[in-house]
Amino acid sequence: MIGRRRLLSCLAGVGALCGLPARPWASEIRATDPAELEYQRLSAADRLPRNPRVIDLAAMGRQPGIRGGTLRTLIGGQRDVRLMPINSYSRLVGYDASLTLQPDILAEYTVEDDRIYTFHLRDGHRWSDGSPFTSEDFRYCWEDVIENRDLLRGGPPADLKVDGEVARFEVLGPLSVRYSWSRPAPAFLTRLAAPVPLVLALPSAYLRDFHARYQTPEKLGDLIVRYRVDDWPSLHTKVSRQNRPENPDLPTLEAWRPRTAPPAEQFVFERNPYFHRVDADGVQLPYIDRWLFNVSSSEIITAKTATGESDLQLGGISFPDYTLLKHAQHSYPQKVSLWTRTQGSSVALMPNLNCGDPVWRGLFRDVRMRRAMSLAIDRAEINKVLYYGLARESANTILPESPLFKPGYATAWAQHDPDMANALLDEVGLARRDRSGTRLLPDGRKAGIMVESAGESTLETDVLELITDHFREVGLPLYIRTSQRDIFRSRALGGAVMMSVWQGLDNGVPTSEMSPNELAPTSDDQMQWPLWGLHYMSAETSGEGPDLPAARQLVALLRQWRQTTTSAQRVDIWTKMLEIHADQVFTIGTVNGALQPVVKSSRLRNVPEEALFGFEPTSYLGAYMPDTFWYQGAD
Amino acid sequence: MTTPREPATQDHPPLEHSASTAPFDPYAADRLATDQGTAQATPGQIMWWRFRRHRLAFASGIFLCAIYASILICEVLAPYSLNRRNTDYIYAPPQAVHVIRDGQLVWPYTYGREMTLDMENLRRIYRDDTDDVQPLRFFCRGDPYEFWNLIPADLHLICPAKGGELFLLGTDRLGRDVLSRMIYGARISLTIGILGVSMSFALGIIIGGLAGYHGGTFDLLVQRVIEVLQSIPSIPLWMALAAIIPVTWSPILVFIGITVILGMLDWTGLARAVRSKLLALREEDYVLAAKLMGAGSGRIIRRHLIPGFMSHLIASATLTIPGMILGETALSFLGIGLRPPITSWGILLTEARSVNIIALYPWLMAPVIPVILVILAFNFLGDGLRDAADPYK
Repeated sequence: MIGRRRLLSCLAGVGALCGLPARPWASEIRATDPAELEYQRLSAADRLPRNPRVIDLAAMGRQPGIRGGTLRTLIGGQRDVRLMPINSYSRLVGYDASLTLQPDILAEYTVEDDRIYTFHLRDGHRWSDGSPFTSEDFRYCWEDVIENRDLLRGGPPADLKVDGEVARFEVLGPLSVRYSWSRPAPAFLTRLAAPVPLVLALPSAYLRDFHARYQTPEKLGDLIVRYRVDDWPSLHTKVSRQNRPENPDLPTLEAWRPRTAPPAEQFVFERNPYFHRVDADGVQLPYIDRWLFNVSSSEIITAKTATGESDLQLGGISFPDYTLLKHAQHSYPQKVSLWTRTQGSSVALMPNLNCGDPVWRGLFRDVRMRRAMSLAIDRAEINKVLYYGLARESANTILPESPLFKPGYATAWAQHDPDMANALLDEVGLARRDRSGTRLLPDGRKAGIMVESAGESTLETDVLELITDHFREVGLPLYIRTSQRDIFRSRALGGAVMMSVWQGLDNGVPTSEMSPNELAPTSDDQMQWPLWGLHYMSAETSGEGPDLPAARQLVALLRQWRQTTTSAQRVDIWTKMLEIHADQVFTIGTVNGALQPVVKSSRLRNVPEEALFGFEPTSYLGAYMPDTFWYQGAD
Repeated sequence: MTTPREPATQDHPPLEHSASTAPFDPYAADRLATDQGTAQATPGQIMWWRFRRHRLAFASGIFLCAIYASILICEVLAPYSLNRRNTDYIYAPPQAVHVIRDGQLVWPYTYGREMTLDMENLRRIYRDDTDDVQPLRFFCRGDPYEFWNLIPADLHLICPAKGGELFLLGTDRLGRDVLSRMIYGARISLTIGILGVSMSFALGIIIGGLAGYHGGTFDLLVQRVIEVLQSIPSIPLWMALAAIIPVTWSPILVFIGITVILGMLDWTGLARAVRSKLLALREEDYVLAAKLMGAGSGRIIRRHLIPGFMSHLIASATLTIPGMILGETALSFLGIGLRPPITSWGILLTEARSVNIIALYPWLMAPVIPVILVILAFNFLGDGLRDAADPYK
């Protein structure tokens, strides 16, 4: 295997050199471009690992391309530069388009009993500043960051622990490292392949200057003043942040390296001349020279996209914009395609089981209440009115595209049955109504539900409007409050949010190898049980433990999944968890499998026509390798 | 000030002061004026005559009266009820009313429409079916409603043919009739103007009147408060106040809350005007005369001062109403004013602000038209009233 790769990489080096013919106009622009100069200066052997990852485009049904061109994308705010490492998607191991794990940054890896993970690096692989990428970077990350209590006050992240046991880290040689546990850790690799991955390697050559162990206190003091931080841990955290590429000096292994520090209106990412992937002809990827993120107001992204100001747009546009974007095809050289969203539900209602109001908390914890709310929703109308009937009416569960799917999950308590909903509501103690037919709580208040929405999409508002009418028919008035996404979480934790509108499950197309985290209370992002999630996340130090048997069972099943060693066991646990979910209706789904418009320049090649669109598991574009996209006629 | 005698004295030939042989008759001018029919005209009548001459203002006045009268009966005027949704007709464009068929003048009718889904562009396409003639019905039974929330009824001024649909201004994304929603929206948007202005009027007269007539510390305090209030940009201040309104309030309470906010912030200008007018007028000779004749300060304010600046107040109040309407529209447009299911013009416009709508469904911006018309009309009316009420003109 390695032998063949080596061979290919040597060929690749030759190919890359030959693959630089004279380019009439692009060469003039490029002659002054520092990135291109750097690229030209370096020989293939300097730029590429000895065994680069060879992307067989023909096997993927794509065409090999030519290098060059600038890609423009609109983002809704500076914070959205964090989309870059998600879309670019260089991971130690990552998913390919068929959602199987592949070694990416790693040359190869071996797994023994799901306990011992041995990683082998690519010989000659370099960070984007040219410094070598070796096991030293893993050691630095492990010993000087993960195990450093100044930097990680809470100790190693939960992903590195199995039942409280932290992984054992060993350096086996300059190019190989090993992580091992005494018990199985099946979620380890999927965490590395996540859109926001577990970080195991950091550019030690660069970061040493910011670390108290390697830097003199005087120089560190200067740096702390220059970077306007309080102490060295925050300095280190600030310069080493990989999920938000805001430090242009931080070396990266991604396909494009950041060139702009905020604040800026335009963020420039230029090709990483040391990127480790090549196409079958040996041309180093990425094909595209530069990727520009233009900051715009999120409300006008659609308008700007429809006037040809974006060459590749996924975020900021939504299904109702399709008609306009399609219309714009006549005027601008661009093309719209529709991808399938992977969320378990496009819009889901999440009753807060940790809500501060004791009456409502009691009601929401009653499964009959949740079922009644689910039954009251007319999903067929939502689908017809807002999705042209193209989405699927479903509870908030996984999609048929997932191998774990069973039709029962989607239909459980998801039919429109106001009579049954009324009967259930009468049963849970909301039988009394006032003159206008509004149900009254046992303590005499009106049973009005306040739904909080981040107010970011009109689609969400429209769905809510329809649901408001559906709920009114069963005597539950719904009030909508728009609040900021950022303060949402703390309000939910404090119990101030009664019900929220959010997307359904992030990963609607899981395989049994992916962790069923999302189905159990594991994070304080989960609006249906933020306190229970916090409890799990903080290793039971804060928040409160779940007191519903079903929720406890979910946590227990998740723990069991982490002990599993065979695929059959995992499928079995997934099935149990999905069944509990379907039966308990912790979150109320509407429709899923909705379509997402994706706009691309008509000259852009290799962008799939149909694909899955979602944060997990595909990392938006990540699994479809934007580094293989190229411009027809770029030179 | 305007007294009945003034116009008459001007018309009368100058009296021969010293050389006249006739005994002095102080009422001669009056008698003459009575013969000409002008002497007994009250200031109100004179104002009315002047106002009538102002054609544009007069037309605006009639228009506003009509539109304000219509909000009393908007249930009847609207072809559909407010929340009636027809999901078979989503984003249907406005429908034309025809009166000529085969070259003959006939009862007004519309064509039935067929909707096809253009799955290529994901667009609903409506085509007139010229064989399906749907004569309109007038004074007919349609969607049931509760008139003024009291009397169940179902009478409508205009209805589609039985089984047909009538969307004169098209429908929105949930298949609701834009015209009906505009008619209902007028009720909220226009009353908010009137209620807000009455509130700021009352506040302005009381606070400004006290400050102007008594002066002193109270005047000083009020002046400074007014300065502070006026120096804060109005939209951010409205936004801050509107954000205080709890979400759990029923839409009607929110409506009242928004009115109060608009009224509370708008009285400053009026109070200033009242104060300065009072300061000027109380130094007038006729006020002194009244004082010397023994009139109390209540009588002076009521009989001598208020008529002096009332005209000005009415005009400026009229000019404030469009500000209120725009304020409500702006707040609702920003999503912090009224909230659905209350429907105002601002709410309707919020729903029409996306680029999709401007490009593909422009009829949803129709509520802009009444907003513009009403505001222009109020401005013309205020202008005409000011001219008419100015006694020195």
